[in-house]
Amino acid sequence: MSAAGSPQGFSVKIDLLIPGLPAKTDHFLFGICSLLLLRVAGRIILFDTGPFRVRPMLIAALNARGLAPKDIDTVFLTHLHWDHVENLDLFAHAEILTPRAEFEYAASPRPNDWGTPPYVREILWGMNVTLLADAEQELFPGVRTLLLPGHSVGLQGLVIDTGEERAVLASDALWSARDAVRGVPDVAFFDPAKAQASLDRALASGDVFYPGHDRPFRLRGGSVIYLAQYRYHLSFPFQPFGQDLDLDISTESSARTGTLS
Amino acid sequence: MTALSPITPLFTGLPARADKFLTGISTVALLRLDGRSLLFDTGPYAYRPILQMRLKKLGVDPGEIDTVILSHVHWDTAANADLFPNADIVLHEKELAYAEAPGSHDADTPGYIGRALHRLRLRPVTGEPEIAAGVRLVELPGHSPGSIGALVGNALLAGDAVTCAADAAAGDIRYQRGYDGRARQSLSRALTLAEVIYPGHDRPFRVGPPISYLDDYVIRIRFFTDPAGPDEEVQVGSFAAKSFASWP
Repeated sequence: MSAAGSPQGFSVKIDLLIPGLPAKTDHFLFGICSLLLLRVAGRIILFDTGPFRVRPMLIAALNARGLAPKDIDTVFLTHLHWDHVENLDLFAHAEILTPRAEFEYAASPRPNDWGTPPYVREILWGMNVTLLADAEQELFPGVRTLLLPGHSVGLQGLVIDTGEERAVLASDALWSARDAVRGVPDVAFFDPAKAQASLDRALASGDVFYPGHDRPFRLRGGSVIYLAQYRYHLSFPFQPFGQDLDLDISTESSARTGTLS
Repeated sequence: MTALSPITPLFTGLPARADKFLTGISTVALLRLDGRSLLFDTGPYAYRPILQMRLKKLGVDPGEIDTVILSHVHWDTAANADLFPNADIVLHEKELAYAEAPGSHDADTPGYIGRALHRLRLRPVTGEPEIAAGVRLVELPGHSPGSIGALVGNALLAGDAVTCAADAAAGDIRYQRGYDGRARQSLSRALTLAEVIYPGHDRPFRVGPPISYLDDYVIRIRFFTDPAGPDEEVQVGSFAAKSFASWP
């Protein structure tokens, strides 16, 4: 594909497979993070793999693009939290790029770190893992790593020069667009001071932002302009032959009410 | 006077569905009897900090749990077995064998679960042993190759052999397709074993007839679409919807 408007003559395509969902419950973590597909330098790169609960959605999103998991040749894992790694086993044939600091830390996570599965090394076992140095580098033409520690020990995002603008793939260093509005990181339990510096750094590194658990957005005069919409439908049965409670979580309209069907 | 139940639900399962993702709202229960503390299932990873918090609220240190029973090794039941440093992890030997090499077509069993479990002190079982005084395991295969339940007095912790009361009422597997045809037989058998069923994805219920739920439930979901605005909160629950007038 040619890169119109790209002086360097390269092209990076960013394709949003699954938008992150900024939702929380008192009963479980949603963990639905942004999953992206990057096409660059002849590679098809999956950016994070998501929690197990999105497995059918991930496979469907790939299928909708004429792809199957085996067609993914590279997986970029921003960090080794459960909700970014649980589908890694679908990509056993791929080259896995992940920060060395994350990989080394994962051998023995802190006892109070509920984000990193103590068995994440078993998830990565036998895979073709390339560890990323603790220094920023150009991984592929137009694709640079961005060190964003704090949410986790060694999270790395990407800055992508599409030829027209710079996109910041910040993962959970920018948990949602709310972090940009408030200027404070939402989920920063590992190292709050570093997380604050990383949020500031991410927001200063580009024009378009891909948060870990929200839709991509631009900032205009401090306001968030979202670049994608989503709609989820949930259904909770009250009783076997009774009414369900249906809940739409949607940004497509303002209708977002719990109603009896 | 009824005796205090040895079963404390930590998570009440729900047969919730979503259009795009898996909900995996499964049941996790604490069993306390005869000075011992056992856990029946551990939920999906998404439960982890909440599971830790709920145990803490009950004054239960993870180190006190001496046994974790895994009804089966799907993503939404076995992901937190590693939290209990002094526990034997009890599962059926056929389930363990399957976990070591799940079928690639299996949409519910992570490929790495066998390796994750082998880090732990595993105690594979076969048959229907009494693993603690008053806790007998029962073989209920079909939902997975080695699904088991636990009989505690007049109650059965059924795992996904009984996913929900609707399946029990229908006498058929509707909520989740099973691994093989034995799932239907196991459902039927489960319903003859106890007066009270703790299903894998629903509130506990009396077998009856009529079937009747023992508990209500409520889940609070907070989300936002306006990053500059406040969270919005939706409560989803049965709100005392325990009337079964519409039941056959």
